[in-house]
Order: sequence, then C-alpha cells, then structure tokens
Amino acid sequence: MIEAKVIKIENCDSLHIVKFDFEGQALSMMSLELDSSVEVGTKVLLQVKPSHVAIGKNISGELSYSNQLESQIVSINAGKLLCSIKVQIAKDTILESIITNSSLERMELQDGDKVIALIKASEISIAKVL
Amino acid sequence: MIKIDINKKLHGVAGEMVLQVDLEINQGDFVALTGQSGSGKTTLLRILAGLEEAEGTLKVGNEIWQDKETYLKSQLRRIGFVFQEYALFPNMSVEQNLLYVEKDKELCRHLLDITDLSKLKNRLPYTLSGGQKQRVSLCRAMMNRPKLLLMDEPLSALDPAMRTKLQNEILTLHREFKTTTIMVSHDPSEIYRLSNRVVVLHHGAITKDGIAKEVLLQTNGSQKFSFEGELLDIIKVDVIFVAIVSIGQQLVEIVVSEQEKQNLQIGQVVRVGTKAFSPVIRG
Repeated sequence: MIEAKVIKIENCDSLHIVKFDFEGQALSMMSLELDSSVEVGTKVLLQVKPSHVAIGKNISGELSYSNQLESQIVSINAGKLLCSIKVQIAKDTILESIITNSSLERMELQDGDKVIALIKASEISIAKVL
Repeated sequence: MIKIDINKKLHGVAGEMVLQVDLEINQGDFVALTGQSGSGKTTLLRILAGLEEAEGTLKVGNEIWQDKETYLKSQLRRIGFVFQEYALFPNMSVEQNLLYVEKDKELCRHLLDITDLSKLKNRLPYTLSGGQKQRVSLCRAMMNRPKLLLMDEPLSALDPAMRTKLQNEILTLHREFKTTTIMVSHDPSEIYRLSNRVVVLHHGAITKDGIAKEVLLQTNGSQKFSFEGELLDIIKVDVIFVAIVSIGQQLVEIVVSEQEKQNLQIGQVVRVGTKAFSPVIRG
C-alpha cells in the first residue's frame, strides 16, 4: 500500500482525476464518484494489483503511464513462466510487480537495479481514507 | 407531501424491536423501501394503509390520517395496495374486479387499455397467468385514484421477463397518474429502474435514505465494482496464487500475489473488487 496525500482533484461530472503527493513523487488516479471524505489534503492508502505494475529500465521517449515511480529492485522471485519483482519506491514502501519471465530475461533485471515502476491512472484505487 | 412519524413495538424473529419511522415524502415520489426481512417494511405499509395501529401521526397533504385525536379508518384513506399474492375476487371478471372499487367505467377502460388487458376484461382471475393477475391487481389499486400507492414485493413471484414487463407498466402508470408510491423491493435492478428515492430499514429504523445509485452501489474503497463472497480455496500456480471465491450462484477466480495472499484465510467472507475501468462487458 502507498500512503499518499491528495493535492489536486479535477472532475467532469462523475469522472475524477485525483493527484497525489507520495514522498515528493506525483501520482495520479482516475475514478468515478469520489467519497465525500476525499478532498485536497486528505491522506489515503492507495493500492494497485501487482499484475498491473509494469517495470521500465533505461526508458527513453515518452510513455502514457501517468504514474512513473523511481525505484530499486529489492527481490526477484522467478517461477517457470512468471516472476514476482519487489521494488522499493520509498524508504518504507515496497511495491510488487508480476511480469513474465521472458520480460525479466529480455531486460536482464537484477537485484539492486534502478528501475521505473509504471502504473496507469486507471489501475490505482483508494483502499482506505486515513 | 406525506408526513410519517410513527413508532410501534414489534415482536420480531430477533426479539423485541421498535419500528420508528420519521419520513417526509414529496408528492409524486416513487420510494423503494428495502432492508432485510423482519426489519419492519411490511408493518410500515400496513400502518400507512390503516390495517395496523401504531403511535404517532400520519398526514397526507392537508388530510390527517392519524394523530392524537384522529384515526382515519382504512376504507377512508385513499390508498391503493398491491400485494405479492394477487388478492383478486375469484368470482368476478377482470372488469368487475376493477369496478368493484369505483364505478368509473372510463378509468377502468383506460387502465385496461394501457396495461394491455382490454381483451381479457371478461375473463375470471383463475384463467389468467401470474403476470396478468398482477396487472389486474395493479389496475384495481389505481381505480380509486389513490393518494398513496403501496406495493409489497409486487413482482417477486414473477419470472424475470414478466418482471421487466410489469416494471415498465408500473412506470407508465406512475408517469401518467403521478401517484405517490411506496414499494417494498429487494431487487436492485427494480429499485434502480423505478424509484427516485430508496429508504433502507434495518431493525425498525431508517439506516439509509438517498437515490438508488448512492444507496445500493457496493463499493470497496474507491472501487465501484465490488462483490461479497466466500473464499473457498487458494491454489498456487507458478509464483502466483489463484483464489476461488463463490459469489452469488457462481464461482470466480482471482489472481493474487504471495503478498496479497498473506491476509487471506480460506472460509472467510471476502470482498472482491476492481476499478470501474477494468471489467469488460458484453451483451
């Protein structure tokens, strides 16, 4: 879970884009109706499915991912087809990413690598309002 | 405006409880009344209809139906009541059932017309299908041009296709007559389609009051696509796990990581949710 603070809310009818500050990094979330307790300044726990977290390394060019978190790989658990990669995105926050083994091999990912964790704004949700 | 402020002690399945309802309903509103069985929904309808007594006051427009001095008899309240069972007079034709309430032939013809029953007007109730009988009950309830239409799960005995047809007819009647309506229902799609206000009763008290989308939408944090189910099993596949959850009448599979699995226990009630952006929908 990612503990973040709401810094901006944009809306169009029931559709919202919420921007968060997470340890100095900007995050953004797409949502339909927002709970009335969510406003600028609110602290929340954000969640994302590990299978919705992509990993980027030596990225050049532009990507449409609204959320691009600088991080470092802290563990890799490779299975037969898939692997679970844990990346540290802040001092106390670890994010898990499930990707295919072929991506792991193609990207030559290793413990300690500096990578970018990529999450679409439509894949992040608020788990809890703090 | 209908003002309801009543209370009554009830002896329910879960012991004693107090039905306490303080509610103002606007003229022309279609209110869905929902909540677990035994929460007092039917009793509230019966109190409104004057079939059961309670403490408090009832005011419909400028008319006092009940207060400290007054208690208007059921027959004198302009009420239409539709029950789950059809309660038609078996020895009277469809038309006679309607005219028994009010000798208004023109209204009778009009109601049978818009509910597609004109051809059946001389039939006896036993020759009709369940859906047809309930349409007759509905027309009959409209015959005295009620100030308040009460319906107690009127469609729950019907099959889904017939339900949808009758929902449309209820809507048509409501648009034309603008009768203030209170309907007990457990069916979210019915409530969403028909009502402009939903009141949830729990153990005799109102716990939620709002529009259907607000009251009935099951959310999980900010997730709008959420279901409650029972976690039946967790199966390891490669480095991930597949959780088997029973939701409603079916089983679903959800992929979880080792980290997500840590908080799960087989047999527990779980909430399965995703963002409204993720599900694929096909007709």
